[in-house]
Amino acid sequence: MRAEEALRSDWDVVVIGGGNAALVSALSARDAGARVLMIERAPVAFRGGNSRHTRNVRCVHNAADEYNTGAYVFDELWKDLCGVGNGPSNEELAEFTVRESESAPRWMAEHGVRWQRPLSGTLHLGRTNRFFLGGGKALVNAYYRRAAKAGIEIAYEATVERLEFDGDRCTALIVRHDGREYRLRPPAVVCASGGFEANIEWLRRYWGDAALNYHIRGPVYNDGTVLAQLFEAGAESAGEERGFHAIAVDARSPKFDGGIATRLDTIPYGIAVNRDGHRFYDEGEDIWPKRYATWGGNIARQPDQIAYSFWDSKVRGLFLPPMYGVYRGDSVGEVAAQMGVDPATVTATVEAYNAAVDRSGTAFDPAVLDGLATRGLDPPKSNWAQPIDTPPYFGIAMRPGITFTYMGVAVTRDARIRRVDGSLLANVFAAGEIMSGNILSTGYLAGFGMTIGTVWGRIAGAEAAKHAIG
Amino acid sequence: MPLDDLFAEAERQMNICNSCRYCEGYCAVWPALELRTELTKGDLTHLANLCHDCRDCFTACMYTPPHEFDLNPPKVFTEIRTRTYGEYVWPRRVPRLLRGAVGGIVVSVVAALVMLLLSIPTTGARVFSADASGSPYDLMPHWLLLIVVGVPSVWAVAIGAVAVVRYWRDTHGPLADLASPRLWGRALATAATLRHMRGGGEEECAYPDEEPTPARRRYHSLTFYGFLLCLLSTMSAAVMQEFLGILPPYPLLSVPVVLGTVGGIGLIVGCTGLLALKRRSARDQTTDTMLKADHGLLSALLVLAVTGVLTLVLRDTVVFGVILMIHLGAIVYCFGVAPYTKFMHGVYRLLAIYQDEWEHARR
Repeated sequence: MRAEEALRSDWDVVVIGGGNAALVSALSARDAGARVLMIERAPVAFRGGNSRHTRNVRCVHNAADEYNTGAYVFDELWKDLCGVGNGPSNEELAEFTVRESESAPRWMAEHGVRWQRPLSGTLHLGRTNRFFLGGGKALVNAYYRRAAKAGIEIAYEATVERLEFDGDRCTALIVRHDGREYRLRPPAVVCASGGFEANIEWLRRYWGDAALNYHIRGPVYNDGTVLAQLFEAGAESAGEERGFHAIAVDARSPKFDGGIATRLDTIPYGIAVNRDGHRFYDEGEDIWPKRYATWGGNIARQPDQIAYSFWDSKVRGLFLPPMYGVYRGDSVGEVAAQMGVDPATVTATVEAYNAAVDRSGTAFDPAVLDGLATRGLDPPKSNWAQPIDTPPYFGIAMRPGITFTYMGVAVTRDARIRRVDGSLLANVFAAGEIMSGNILSTGYLAGFGMTIGTVWGRIAGAEAAKHAIG
Repeated sequence: MPLDDLFAEAERQMNICNSCRYCEGYCAVWPALELRTELTKGDLTHLANLCHDCRDCFTACMYTPPHEFDLNPPKVFTEIRTRTYGEYVWPRRVPRLLRGAVGGIVVSVVAALVMLLLSIPTTGARVFSADASGSPYDLMPHWLLLIVVGVPSVWAVAIGAVAVVRYWRDTHGPLADLASPRLWGRALATAATLRHMRGGGEEECAYPDEEPTPARRRYHSLTFYGFLLCLLSTMSAAVMQEFLGILPPYPLLSVPVVLGTVGGIGLIVGCTGLLALKRRSARDQTTDTMLKADHGLLSALLVLAVTGVLTLVLRDTVVFGVILMIHLGAIVYCFGVAPYTKFMHGVYRLLAIYQDEWEHARR
């Protein structure tokens, strides 16, 4: 069916979005017997939203199997979730999500997802997280194939511009496709269209002009149009305005959609300085993967939202090679000059740091918090503090890379959207990043976004189908 | 693309792949890449020949065109393999006539005509008569047949050996490292079962569409084992003749005829299947050069198999002589130019698998 035809047909459930949560919603609604249309903004080549850049899902499992190296029981996942940022936003919904996660992997496999056995690159998360064979785009492809087989229609390059309401009921979706406007009147709608991280103007409301220097790791399409429409219809917000997950990415990365490849993990192996050549945060504070989440925000709060990582030859080969290569020189100053930072300041910073390195301590071990710390330095470097003294020296410029935003709409246990006045939207359901703020609002737990999308996609899809066809 | 540009482009792409690593579950290429942070031409050549061209990585990649990272590992590996096939043989510059389908037909037909001409003075004009016994020696003396088939075969083996040495030096180094029976056992088992075409071992690769399917692995196995049975058929015939003194034609239930028939049918089904899959496969992940080379090899094997089966089926008819000459012409061509064709992919790929096993043993 062509998109034009699909957008003129009658549907029981229309799912807005094209990523994991949207696909799970659509498949669940279809499993429940509904006629389902998905409206995806992106063209086929870029379909799948942020999910195309994901790699794994974190679920409760009570025993090891082929794909998880050990058990990860409810209490442990719950404890991990509570240890992230400020902890769960809504304890009831967060606990419910963790409990429901247990049945997710089976459902995923039944709907075409293939897993990867733990390998070198996945071992550190091999117990807690299940990895998708080939990553998130492969998962999304598998779901799209299953959707086609199940008779779910997908309108690509179609944008939901407006949701029309009559009281608490969504009466129409206004969709633009190929320059034409379409008006759909489905009995039930699932909003699974992600956060607003690609909407720089929206980020600017909370972050000011700093937002202009952020890189967005996912597709350019996640501009929060649907989220804004829901707020306009009186939806209550969940999650903090400034809540996002951000990591350090290569400053040469594209503005949008750089994904995983532009990620940098050089910081703990040396020092990081800001625009003015000064250190500003403990580079040895935490081990992977928590430090990823820390550094995006750290750099976002520095002048001009840029920082520079320096290291020396001793630690070469200990981390993933940056995709654009690195700057290199016979002195730290030379490397600084290549990147446009004041060589004299950086040299002085490195000298001060080297002088503070405690050379009597334990042996350097990048695999653990080795306790190799600086003394009398502010800020300190509390682990992996080796002097930077062996040429050639290396450096790289870093920017904050925003993975996703947390703020979304508040929901009930059956994925209905709450309104500020205490009522519920009658026929609109939400799943995925658009409602992840109910669960987490700060910090980052690897693979849990996919858990939220899968758990809530199943609920939203089934509830929407129930609402539409009884 | 000039060589330096090709390797620079491959290095650019592999640096991105090495920063991502999502594909590591699919095949041996990606774990092998993870062992390397700085890539030499030898490394890239190794990775390219370890690639079995199933394209699962392309399908799973979020950086393929139109994404600005413009990743296309199957294509860049194909380009490097094309360079491998040209670089390591002797001589490096083979006349274009000897490559491709047209060249194959021309050379095969010329060889068949030459043999026809040789047949007439040595055995009379029996090649055109219906009273042949079904034995090749009615149409060509034993010594001449040995020369006609033997010379190109010996040539092929010698050039193949040169290529092995040159390839191994470039991608690995010391020849002595090729001397491990244990590693050969593993490499041969991996190659014989096409383990790297199993899409990470969970299911299958998704070539030529996006749905996992064993079709390519099965057709490839039919082709390979069909070819092997045909070789065994020829060798068993030689044993029967030289050591047992039993001369052709052999009865239908003899070892050479059964092996040749089963092998021939396997080759015909396998090659036809692979050609059909290739028609459906994506063109943006390969090159015209490689497509031509693939078609050349598969067509040549098909001609070998069809003419071989026909020499059996038609051995009591008037066309036996002509069919036999065409079959021999095809053998002369296929064996003589084998080192300069896609035929060699098996040799380089086996060496790449051996290298991979060598690296595994040292991990």
